[in-house]
Amino acid sequence: MILFSLLLGTPIAGSILCALFHKRRVLEIITVTSSGLTFLSAFWLAAKVMQETTLHSPQGWWYADGLSAYIIIIVSGSAFVVALYSIGYLRRQIYKRKVDAPKLWLYYLLLNIFLFTMMLVLLSNNLGFLWIGSEATTLATAFLVAFYERESSIEAAWKYVVICSVGITLALFGIILTYFSALHVVPASGNALHWSSLMLVAKELDPAVLKLAFIFILIGFGTKAGLAPMHTWKPDAYGEAPAPISALMAAGLVNVALYSLMRFYILVDKAVGGGFASTLFIIFGLMSMGVAVPFILLQRDFKRLLAYSSVEHVGIIVFALGIGTPLAYFGALLHLLNNAIAKILLFLTAGNVRMAYGSRIMHKVTGAIKVIPASATLLIVGVFAITGWPPFGIFVSEFTIVSAGFTSGNIVPAILFIGFITTIFVGFIYYTSRMVLGEPHRPVKGSDADSASLLLLGLLLGALLMLGVFIPSQLQQCIQNAVNVLKG
Amino acid sequence: MGIIHLSTIGLLIDIFAAAILVTAVLIVSSRSLVFYIRLFALQSFFLGAVALLVVLGYGETHILIAAFLTIAVKAIALPMVLTRVIERIQVRKEIEFSINITASLLLCAGMVILSDSVAQSILSSQRGEAPAVSRVLSVSIAMMLIGLFIMMTRKKALTQIIGLLTMENGVFLSGLSITYGMPLIVEVGIFFDIMIAVLILGVFVFRINKTFETISIDSLRNLRH
Amino acid sequence: MNNVFGVIVISSFQLLLVLASAPLISGIIKKTKARFQRRRGASVVQPYFDLAKLLRKEVVVSPVASWLFRITPYLVFASTLVIALLVPTVVTPVPLHWIGDIITVIYLFALGRFFVALVGLDTGSAFGGLGSSREMSVASIIEPAMMLAIFTAAVTAGSTNLSIIVARLSSTPVAMLNPAHLLAFSGLFIVTIAETGRVPVDNPATHLELTMIHEAMILEYSGRYLALIEWASQMKLVVFLALLSNMFFPVGIATTWSPWALLVGSAAFFCKIIVLAVIVAVVESTNAKLRLFRVPEFLMVAFILSFLALILFFIIGA
Repeated sequence: MILFSLLLGTPIAGSILCALFHKRRVLEIITVTSSGLTFLSAFWLAAKVMQETTLHSPQGWWYADGLSAYIIIIVSGSAFVVALYSIGYLRRQIYKRKVDAPKLWLYYLLLNIFLFTMMLVLLSNNLGFLWIGSEATTLATAFLVAFYERESSIEAAWKYVVICSVGITLALFGIILTYFSALHVVPASGNALHWSSLMLVAKELDPAVLKLAFIFILIGFGTKAGLAPMHTWKPDAYGEAPAPISALMAAGLVNVALYSLMRFYILVDKAVGGGFASTLFIIFGLMSMGVAVPFILLQRDFKRLLAYSSVEHVGIIVFALGIGTPLAYFGALLHLLNNAIAKILLFLTAGNVRMAYGSRIMHKVTGAIKVIPASATLLIVGVFAITGWPPFGIFVSEFTIVSAGFTSGNIVPAILFIGFITTIFVGFIYYTSRMVLGEPHRPVKGSDADSASLLLLGLLLGALLMLGVFIPSQLQQCIQNAVNVLKG
Repeated sequence: MGIIHLSTIGLLIDIFAAAILVTAVLIVSSRSLVFYIRLFALQSFFLGAVALLVVLGYGETHILIAAFLTIAVKAIALPMVLTRVIERIQVRKEIEFSINITASLLLCAGMVILSDSVAQSILSSQRGEAPAVSRVLSVSIAMMLIGLFIMMTRKKALTQIIGLLTMENGVFLSGLSITYGMPLIVEVGIFFDIMIAVLILGVFVFRINKTFETISIDSLRNLRH
Repeated sequence: MNNVFGVIVISSFQLLLVLASAPLISGIIKKTKARFQRRRGASVVQPYFDLAKLLRKEVVVSPVASWLFRITPYLVFASTLVIALLVPTVVTPVPLHWIGDIITVIYLFALGRFFVALVGLDTGSAFGGLGSSREMSVASIIEPAMMLAIFTAAVTAGSTNLSIIVARLSSTPVAMLNPAHLLAFSGLFIVTIAETGRVPVDNPATHLELTMIHEAMILEYSGRYLALIEWASQMKLVVFLALLSNMFFPVGIATTWSPWALLVGSAAFFCKIIVLAVIVAVVESTNAKLRLFRVPEFLMVAFILSFLALILFFIIGA
């Protein structure tokens, strides 16, 4: 119980304190402390879950198991890294007079609220709360996407809120249908929305109603995760939001949405069986990867390029979940972590490049290696990492997923998977090598980020490298616990 | 609650449900933003009435607060806020369409039929006994579809908000009809979310108006690929 | 009185009732509209004087007009009279209900409309043709809407015979509040407004070439021909009001031929149609005439309401 209050309470306390103070230094300390404390509590939660398998709050409203502990670590860790990077990023923005004091305050306040809403989703046992948290994540990030108040950022924020709200409304209908199918089955109807009580009676739930419910839920949370064809808000929002926010959305929010999908996936797979949910996952996963291909090959803007890469990687994870063997689950969960680290690294590096060149358009950015050598190196190595080159972690997880695909007999999807990844690799390397190598078109005045931020990014790259070489036994145990939850 | 006969309650629920559906269809047939808002207010009021009747007829007291919230927030507060927004930004009040009214109305009729067949398939597959008001389910699904349709074909920012709210109303009605509403605390949370969402969208309407000098979402076409 | 004599008496009574009350109803509407415009307005019996005067006036016929021009007023008048015999007003079933059902009524209206539209073209005046084309395009939406609205009531009662619909409904008053029924009523109300040429579809009080529909077609008529056509359209209004009130709220309607029941039935009938007439007048006074291109949208609403009524009947049930 104390863990639940710690994980939920810390970001709340952070938000309240942020609302009260307006000094830059204080805001920075509050945010870093609250996200750091949450990160630490996440480790504590993981340790606790390893001993006790599941944790319940007394009335069953909050719940944690191996899966939620693992994802909470990823999400709170991303939030911590982003909070650290935001300090330097915003100081540079203030120095360039792009951000003023009230906006700085709003930024830190919303960052704390955003972290809280993500924790709300990840810790709710009640599916209604899960929904409330998901919609709240959209609302908390709305003003962060519109942060710079350019025409294009307001447009992006509008699309983001409207599309995600529509999607999530459909998901609510799916949740209501789930509730409906459980009303006659779950003994105490107050618990009929609790995931843990639903799991106990999954076999008795009405399969036909649950199938329909799952379609609505897949559309709804798929919109939040950015699965094609509901991904259209993603390039706009990621492209327009400040770089740290894009990073946190790509590494945190996406995983929160995927977590919600996984919860329903486990439930529906157990109740319906027959590969209904997994087939849908494979189709949507491949579709997301396929849709990303042309947009990555014909892209002008490097933040949007990364957004489409996010669409692709969500597709990869959903595809792996759809394969549905323990090996595939392992690959999917490992990929979740790898992708989160790589996305933070790339979005933040892209933020550095953008700030140095003052443009997100790729053909205006050339010869970065001469202008900002550190960030340029991080960028090109990060791109090799995200496109699945050894010896980085993503290679390991993608390789695991493909081999799980072949061994489970999904030959054609697995071949498509390899095809998409290869094409995307070509596009990525083509664009980034032009950005990094060669000579700058014109003299660039901008400078690189401060050394603390660069060190942070270097550490992220090191983590990716480490995950590609060996997986620590604790992490392996943690993922294995989550795989056990996914197996139902 | 034996004061009022149960069949009378059932009849009244049917009438209000029909009225809700009619307001949704009339929104589609309307050309002025003011009408959109008024019809939405009326729709939410009927929805609140249905919720109150469910409380009266079937003793589901936990919906009482949700019913009052529906009337207070969706039928009174949000329409007032939206009307203020219209007055403040003095938008040209005619709505533009990508599908004209006549065709839209025919499509709506098709959507009602479609949602009825969906609703029947949901209800028929249920093993236990369905709640007494579950026949309203088709109306609620139709509202979700019509709300989505409004969002896709009406080009003002405010009409998108109304479309979204119509969808939300449909979802609320569906919860009411097949499960007698979600648990109270969930319902309240949902309300809170919706209210914040509309307020945020309202702020964006102001900003769009300021930077684009129009609130037609046609002008939101800069971001492609 | 269940004999030929009774049938004749009751039928003539009904016919006379419609014939005699028609100008009064249109007088009431005119008076109400005048009051809304802060005018005193003409007396409610003014339409009787107008008809009497028109009947006495000489007839001017265009030299290019054909025989159609001369027979149309009689045809329209006669078809309206037949409808008046079929629609239950004060008593149900009407004595001659076996002549035809609701489909007959719809086709009889269509017959009158067809000839009036032909006459609009017959004299070759520009306005006439304009009116005819408008009337026909409006009719193409009104008629399906009207059929759907009436079919909803028919499905509820399980018969297309008007008298049986009314009788079934008056024996089960709860069915009057059925949502499908209420929707069909509102659909038919809009149809009534369109079919009798009222604001916001048409304006019976002006001859403005931009907007007029019905008045444009009968622009060439004068004298007793005009009187017959006017009278027929006033009766049409009464028939529609009778349909609205009795098909959806058959309260107080006589089910036997006893004088007392007939008296109560007549009183109830007048109350209902006067209330409806006032509502029509209120609608006319509070709405602006729609632009002609908007009229189909308005009528589409009637169509959809009727359609929803029919669907709701199956969804929610009677």
